[in-house]
Parts: sequence; C-alpha cells; structure tokens
Amino acid sequence: MALAELVQYVATGLLVGGVYALMSIGLALIFGVMRVVNFAQGDFMMLGMYLTYFYAISGSVDPLLGALLTIPPFFVLGWIVHRGLLARVTGGGDPQRQMDAQLILTLGLSLVITNATTMILTPTPLGIRTGYATQAFALGPVLLNQARSYAFAMALVLAAAVYVFLTRTDLGKALRASADDPEAASYQGIDVRAMHGLAFGIGIALVAAAGGLLATYYPIEPTVAGNFIVLMFVAVVLGGLGSIPGAFVGGLVIGLVQSLTLLVLPFQLQNTGVFIVFLLVLYFRPQGLFGRRARTV
Amino acid sequence: MLTIASLGVSYEGLRALVDVSLEVGAGEFVTIVGPNGAGKTTLLKAISGTVPSETGRITYLAQDLGARRPSERAALGIAHVPEGRRVFPSLTVMENLELGSYRRAARAGRKGALDEVLALFPILRERHRQLAGSLSGGEQQMLALGRGLMAQPDLLLLDEPSQGLGPRIVEQIFETIDRIRRERRLTILLVEQRVVEALELCDRGYVLETGRVVLAGRREALLADARVQRAYLGA
Ligand SMILES: Nc1ncnc2c1ncn2[C@@H]1O[C@H](COP(=O)(O)OP(=O)(O)OP(=O)(O)O)[C@@H](O)[C@H]1O
Ligand SMILES: [Mg+2]
Repeated sequence: MALAELVQYVATGLLVGGVYALMSIGLALIFGVMRVVNFAQGDFMMLGMYLTYFYAISGSVDPLLGALLTIPPFFVLGWIVHRGLLARVTGGGDPQRQMDAQLILTLGLSLVITNATTMILTPTPLGIRTGYATQAFALGPVLLNQARSYAFAMALVLAAAVYVFLTRTDLGKALRASADDPEAASYQGIDVRAMHGLAFGIGIALVAAAGGLLATYYPIEPTVAGNFIVLMFVAVVLGGLGSIPGAFVGGLVIGLVQSLTLLVLPFQLQNTGVFIVFLLVLYFRPQGLFGRRARTV
Repeated sequence: MLTIASLGVSYEGLRALVDVSLEVGAGEFVTIVGPNGAGKTTLLKAISGTVPSETGRITYLAQDLGARRPSERAALGIAHVPEGRRVFPSLTVMENLELGSYRRAARAGRKGALDEVLALFPILRERHRQLAGSLSGGEQQMLALGRGLMAQPDLLLLDEPSQGLGPRIVEQIFETIDRIRRERRLTILLVEQRVVEALELCDRGYVLETGRVVLAGRREALLADARVQRAYLGA
C-alpha cells in the first residue's frame, strides 16, 4: 500500500470525524449536565439536515450558512422540549424511576420524530446541490473533498466556540459546576433547572448544526439518525462519559477508524472497525480515552 | 435576620426535624451542636431549600422563604458552605471562587472579595490553576469557605467545617471564622460536632438532639450547663 493512499484515508477520516465530534459534543453536554441519555439526539440531527435543506431550496441559502442558521431555532426547540417534557422527569424523586422515565421519554421522542417526518416529508432521500460538493482541494497526491473540508472547518470553529463559552464565561462555568455537583451549584445561586434547559438547548443546537454540515455531502432522509446515533454514543463513551474534550477526540477517532477500516473491509462493514476499537478501549481503559472522573463536562 | 418557627422535615416518613424554632439576629454568631444524626445538616438544608420543609415557616429579612427555590435563596445573600465541602472537583480553584460570586449582587464586588479571600487563604493563590478535586481535605475546606465568602453574604451557613481535618488545620479554620466575623460583622450560623470550640466562638447556641431543640442559651450559660458538660465536655 502506498503511503499516499494511507494519508488519503487518514485525511478523509479526520474530515468526517470533525462533524462526528461536533455531534458528540452535544450529546456529551446533555449527559454531563443532566445525566440524561438522549436517544433522540440523532433525530434532532436529521431535523437540522431538513431545515438546512429548506433554507437552501426556499431561500437559496448555502448549507454551510444554513447549518449556522439552524442554531437559534433548535436552541429554542431544545429549551422547550426540556421545559415541557424532560423537566418533569429530572431533578428530584427516585433516581431509578427517573432513569426509566428519561429512557422511555427520549426513545419515544425519537420514534415520534422519525415517524412524523416520514409521514409529512415522505421517505424519499433528498440532497442539497452545491458547487463544492464535487470539487476537491489537491494537496500533492491527496484529494480533500471541498464540502467535507468546509464542514470540518466549521465544526472545529463551533466546537472551539463551545469550549470558550464553557471555560471563559460565568454561564459556562455555572453549567460545568451544575454537572459536577448540582446541590453545591444551587448554593452559589445557580438555577440548576435553567442550566438543564441551557444544556439541552445547546446540545440540540449543536447536533442540528452538525446535521446541516453533514447535509453538504450526505443524503437527507427521515431514518438517517440510525446511521449516526450509535457513532455518537461510541464517541461519548470513548471520550469518557460526559467529557466535552473527550467527546470531541472520540468523534475524530471514530471518523478515522471508520475510514481506515475501508482499507481492509468493504464499505458495508465500515463500522466494524469502530466497534472493535470501542471494545478494546472499554477493555483496557473503561473510563474512556480521557480517563477523568465520569461526572465532568 | 433569620427566624425559624416550628419547622418540621421528614425523609420518606422518617422525622428528621420536629417543631424546631430558632432565631439568628443581624451580626450574631449562632451555633448548633448535637450528636450524629441529630438533624443539624437537615436544618441548614431546609434554610437553603435543598430539602423541603413539611411544616413551619422560615423567614429571612422579613421575607417568607417557603416558595423560593434554592438558587433564589442564595441570591438573597445566604451563603451555604455545605457538609463535606462540596467544591466543584473538575473546576479550577479560581473557577470555584468565581462561582462563589455568581449571584448578581456579588458580581460587582468580585475583585475585591477575591483579594480578601486570597489574603485570608494564601495557599489558594498558589493553587489557583489547580483542579479543586486535587486539593487536600484542608485546602478544599479553605476553598469551600473562600467560595462562601466570595458571595459577600449577609448570612453565612457553615456545616461542620472541621469535619475530617487534622487539629492544626481545624484550629486555623476556626481562627479564620472568628476573624472574618470580627472584621466584617458577618451573621453566622455554624453547625459543629466540636462542641467546645464551637460554643467558645459563638454568642448563642442551640443543642439539637434527634430532631428537637433540647437546650438553648447564651455562650456562658451553655458552657456552664450541667447537661452540656456531661454530654459533650467530658466533665
Ligand atoms: N437524604 C436522606 N434520606 C433519608 N434520611 C436522611 C437523609 N438525610 C438525612 N437523613 C436522616 O435524617 C436524620 C438527620 O440527618 P442529618 O444529616 O441532618 O444529621 P446531622 O445532625 O447533620 O448528623 P452529622 O453530625 O452526622 O452530620 C438522620 O437520621 C439521617 O439518617
Ligand atoms: Mg451533618
């Protein structure tokens, strides 16, 4: 195998991994702050893809911009879903029953969103046509698809923005404190319920934006969540449950492993490598790659 | 400043506090002593709102706290330094301190409060970039106290600041508490198992046993009380 070929697979893997990283950060933030495993995360990603599609066909908004424009409406949607549904089954009461309730709630939400979308928008796959989707940047013998390169760059910028928010602002620090110790956070005057709404809103907005970026090179259909939700979960567990930097690295690793798997296995089996790496990490480093305490953001 | 009238709290039917009434005046240092499981922590949590009161009324600065959420109570100037320190382990020492002054009324005074807290606990300045979870127990207690002071509170609730610490650190912590109260005329409600030290510091005290106030009085009266001497002072 030529070195150039290997570099090509690594580069492609990292490019898609950047978008996985952005999706996974949202899931990790929600889990870290709320202790809620959101099974509907992939469905919000799918809705983000559709919104980006509608921006593109009705306003001829470029999907890279469209992805950014999904953030405000999905933040509000996340906030409302938290207030209307999740807040009823978080914060207080028997933890085991709460876990069950959250599980049923997010799984149910996932089913409702998928089926409603299928009914309203039909199962026919859609795509957004852009000039750059079929172009590539050439770095010597290595070709970088332009859509994936732009999506990667924007995912990095958004992830960096989240990082700055969490580490440099009072609100971001309050979010992390609520993840560490909700009771002690409330003694500082932090409204933990509002922090949950904020975390869910940001988590949903990030995965919707990641969906928008994905839509520059991936077909849009109501069941697309199924192809990504497992990858997000693996990324979050790899990174150390709930850790944001961990989920970011986890996403990159998954893109990389997926791509390198294609060197030895056919396309239909590209997730095999992901699961093998997942099992190896769980076996040798059960706390995840980043290996910090579980309850951190 | 703080008035508690006939407070009752239960955990799933088990009564932890029964008909507890007490008062803390502005500028006073009040201490609550009592054996393990007496309900001391429960009392402070009821004041902060992290356990619901079943009966009775808690009034702070002429406002009924009943319907207020814990974060709103903190916003009113009640700082709670909880049992077991409860610093935010994955945040740095500095971030922990900053969050102490998260409440709106404390933000403007954050810089000044930070200088004071770091002067009080120089070790925190040395460690300011370190994760709070990696501090020693004594350092964590200083951080928890410092975080409470960053709120520039009107009422400071302290739950067993001496717990699990060596004698030298305990002495230092008590000295610091005495100092901040003298310098700032801060109102303090202290819960302690170290009965002697706590009673000697306070203006007034209450003895809590199995959820009830069994004795109340001024410092001298409590220290001289035969029952206190027998049960707690080893006399
Ligand atoms: N979350 C809880 N659920 C059920 N029972 C509880 C809970 N917290 C406290 N209790 C019970 O309530 C009673 C009072 O507990 P509390 O923690 O207030 O005592 P304490 O005086 O602070 O004791 P210590 O000096 O050991 O800290 C105890 O019998 C305890 O077992
Ligand atoms: Mg206690």
